[in-house]
Amino acid sequence: MSEPVKNPDDKIPDDFQAPKNSGDSDNPNDESDISTSSWERFRRNGYTRYYTKRTIWFLVTLVAAAILNFILPRLMPGDPLAAIMQRVAVGLHDAEQVRAIYYHYLQLFGLDRPVIEQFFIYFGNLFRGDLGLSFSRFPRPVSDIISNAVPWTIGLQLPAILTGWIIGNFLGAIAAYRRRIFDKIVMPASLFVSGIPAFGLAVILLAVFALNLGWFPVTGGYEIGLIPHFSWRFISSIIEHYHLPFWSIVLISIGGQALGMRSMSIYELNADYVRYSRFMGIKDSKIVRYVFRNAMLPQVTGLALSLGTMMGGAIVAEIIFSYPGLGTALLQAVREGDYPLVSGITLVITVMVLASVFLLEIIYGLIDPRVKTTQYE
Amino acid sequence: MSKVILEVNNLMTKYITRYKENVYAVNDVSFKLEEGRSVGIAGESGCGKSTLALSLMGYYFPPLHYTSGEIIIDGRKITDMKPDDVRKQVLGTEIAYIPQAAMNALNPTRKVIKFIEDVIRVHDPKATKKDIYDLAQQRFELLNLPKEALHKYSVELSGGMKQRTVIAVSTILSPKVLIADEPSSALDVTSQKMVIKMINDLMDLGIIKSMIFITHELPLLYNVTDDIMVMYAAQLVETGTADQMIFDPLHPYSKGLMGSILVPEDGTREAKITAIPGTPPNLKKPPEGCRFAERCKYASPQCKVLNVEVSHLDNNRKCRCLLSEKELREVYKDE
Repeated sequence: MSEPVKNPDDKIPDDFQAPKNSGDSDNPNDESDISTSSWERFRRNGYTRYYTKRTIWFLVTLVAAAILNFILPRLMPGDPLAAIMQRVAVGLHDAEQVRAIYYHYLQLFGLDRPVIEQFFIYFGNLFRGDLGLSFSRFPRPVSDIISNAVPWTIGLQLPAILTGWIIGNFLGAIAAYRRRIFDKIVMPASLFVSGIPAFGLAVILLAVFALNLGWFPVTGGYEIGLIPHFSWRFISSIIEHYHLPFWSIVLISIGGQALGMRSMSIYELNADYVRYSRFMGIKDSKIVRYVFRNAMLPQVTGLALSLGTMMGGAIVAEIIFSYPGLGTALLQAVREGDYPLVSGITLVITVMVLASVFLLEIIYGLIDPRVKTTQYE
Repeated sequence: MSKVILEVNNLMTKYITRYKENVYAVNDVSFKLEEGRSVGIAGESGCGKSTLALSLMGYYFPPLHYTSGEIIIDGRKITDMKPDDVRKQVLGTEIAYIPQAAMNALNPTRKVIKFIEDVIRVHDPKATKKDIYDLAQQRFELLNLPKEALHKYSVELSGGMKQRTVIAVSTILSPKVLIADEPSSALDVTSQKMVIKMINDLMDLGIIKSMIFITHELPLLYNVTDDIMVMYAAQLVETGTADQMIFDPLHPYSKGLMGSILVPEDGTREAKITAIPGTPPNLKKPPEGCRFAERCKYASPQCKVLNVEVSHLDNNRKCRCLLSEKELREVYKDE
């Protein structure tokens, strides 16, 4: 992970000379010279140093999360091998034989060794990209189960969280600008909806739209019996099954985002630059754009902060709609005490959240010049 | 007498508070500003100086509301125009404004040149990027700003540069009247002097035709503007040339204001500073009669009852006092 960060640093001296020379020949002006070299300094020290620091922090977080991922599933009650034994030991009456099979699996998974040793084996495997074999779906490797579930989860959650964020911000901005009826009806309504716990809202949607009205299917990611392949029938089935889990995630995230955006926009609308722009004759629609741009910035931070919570809520939605994503797999793994699968899924979720936060941080640096300056410092 | 650029007659504007109370922060203000002249408005904080500045723009948004009176810029009565016409035809070109908080006046996420483009395109939607850039660059040079500053965000500029950038942006369309609302209050003395010199240069070059300078520092006005108006409790109490107002103030409030500051000249070391006792009236319920009567040591019982009109004196002076010029001089002589 630290390799790609170092590389640009090494490369700099090569292309460092070029812009400086061309800058000199274009502008013999002193000031342009200063700005060129300060731009170079900015690129060399500020960004690289900042992002190296951030990367290290993310790695530390990742390691801490991986350790917790190892420990927490092992604190669960229940016998992790029960699932396998149920399948394998069917029809066996000889207790001795059953015990032999049991010990065979115990040794295979390394469960007979001390926890510390298991810990090091687990991490050793992790570094080789090996997440182990699933207990409950033995002998499928965990990575195989996860790679089947991840597209569903990303396909559902990324659009849903982004849609919720965008609609929420939009509503918040309008509420700040229009006030009156909009502020008194739409805002409380969206807040009310967001106040419902994630599982509650999903269950309500399921009961109303799937069971009572029958507009949408009740469970799954596609019609039961269809084999996943590229055809119109399959795609339309996916879209049909997509609606309820999607809107349950969107509705949950709207209210909180709208509330934040509304207060940020009200604050920005009273900022000095808004008044000045008005007195310079800038038209209101443009000023609204200025305000939106500035009020949006803390919302990006808000998104980064609430991403973990959102992901949690989204996983609950998956479980309730039996969507074939990570959430449903996680629930199954937890039920059956499948340590490797639980650890693997939570690790992947952690990586996804951390990666998105990291991405948001980079985006934030690009869209807010003030942060750019601080990152440089 | 040269051409009158700005004429304000009995202007009244009010703030409507959250509890639907009317606060008249500009009450019956009248004055004229001639081409090539500058006028300073002085008064203690909360007297309505900044509100007057905002009211003069002719473009009102809550909580400030227009009540009555007229503003005439270069023969055009802007108080009769539709807000959108005022925005397009008056703001920036006829009258422009340098805000009190110049430090925060620039949009933090928009580059200076982009904002200048926005401003110019309000009045000339067809302006080309190159023309805008050339004009901006020329003005920046005039104000001693590096042209690189055009491509920067406000956070990347120093305080003094932000101040000058705001001056450059405000005057980019060569407004006939420039209102500077304490443009120098947040700066150190050297920067203050530089800012004032720049505004004066702009006037000498004819980029701006006249200026209104608002401050609470009277001595500053003496060096900056031709005329001085003193404001008290939403009204103008005295108007005159800088010399008259500094060395021969007539109204008891102007006199008190002059007595409460140190003038850096010989003999001031021994002089005593005298503060005006009391506090300004609450503008939600302004007192009957003269608004200064409560605090005026020359006030008679009549002052608190009779409505005081502005009296026009010799030499274009105006004074809002029940006593005549002669009577006032008599009173002051006794001290």
